[in-house]
Amino acid sequence: MKCPIETRESAELLLAYCDRKLDAESTAILERHMEVCAACREFASGQRAVWEALDAWESAPVTQDFDRRLYRRIDRETSWWHLLMRPFRPVLVRQGLPIAAAACLLVMAGVLLERPAGAPPAAPRPQSAQVEAFEADQVDHALDAMRMLGEFSHRVPGDAADSKM
Amino acid sequence: MPERVKTDMGGAIAALDYDAELMLRVKEGDGASFGLLLEKHRSPVVHFLYRMVQNHAVAEELAQEVFLRVYRSRSSYEPTAKFTTWLFRIATHLALNSLRDGKNERLQERLDNDSSDMPARQVSDSRPSVEQKMVYQVRLDEVRQAVAALPEKQRAAVLMHKYEEMEYSQIARVLRCSESAVKSLLFRAYETLRARLAHMA
Repeated sequence: MKCPIETRESAELLLAYCDRKLDAESTAILERHMEVCAACREFASGQRAVWEALDAWESAPVTQDFDRRLYRRIDRETSWWHLLMRPFRPVLVRQGLPIAAAACLLVMAGVLLERPAGAPPAAPRPQSAQVEAFEADQVDHALDAMRMLGEFSHRVPGDAADSKM
Repeated sequence: MPERVKTDMGGAIAALDYDAELMLRVKEGDGASFGLLLEKHRSPVVHFLYRMVQNHAVAEELAQEVFLRVYRSRSSYEPTAKFTTWLFRIATHLALNSLRDGKNERLQERLDNDSSDMPARQVSDSRPSVEQKMVYQVRLDEVRQAVAALPEKQRAAVLMHKYEEMEYSQIARVLRCSESAVKSLLFRAYETLRARLAHMA
């Protein structure tokens, strides 16, 4: 057999052997190997010493009021929640879903009604006022121009006759 | 919280794991099943936490938090892994957080104060001599200090392997690492412990 101590992966064989968790066949093979392998023997005796030392380390028993303290904490949490929910409980139990649905619909309706039908008119920008003022001037200029043209057109036939003459 | 996987797998685990079945009953509102879980796992959880933080009062406080979290999570519980995997994952997480929070201040205090927490060990002689008691105490302190000196994850792996007799695969799931990583953690941890404790044979 290949020495288990040579590869870390196989060292678990030795750990299992020391913990008496190895099957009979593997145990027999390993024990034959250990007869000739001092390193594996040393590993096994060292590991057994570790486990014996760890076995000696006992934990203190759990205190008697452990459960009482735990249940008190649980009760405190649950009673806090129950107190908070108590006024709503009968209604929530019997009609929770319809009420939740109705509340959702109300909220949605409220949101929709709050919004005006058309988009709000944009505040007139100063530029548009200028444009409007500019357009009024243009109208005045246009009217002046038309008046001048009218006068000009009255004069033109005479001028034309003069030129023919 | 247990990781969620397919429901049929959860069902299979529940069928194999009586604890998971109990927890599903707790989820349905059966308080008595929570009592059964507490009765079964109270001592292993407290002892694991005690050996992790090496202070009995802190260990019990953390264990209370573990079971409180279990109870709080009942409504969302899904049996996606063994119940003990989930339980020890919570316990390990709390222990590691506790160690990181107050490691430096409490370490010496733990090692100094803890002797009073220990039960009187039964030695073969019904009335151990003062000398025997002292020898035992010295050996015990050596063991505790050797374990306390291990890096946190190695310590958790050793405690789960040695005292809870967990398989590598389960330790891997508790510590959220691969099985080979657990083997490596254990190998290095036992190597360190052999170097420190082999003379006690």
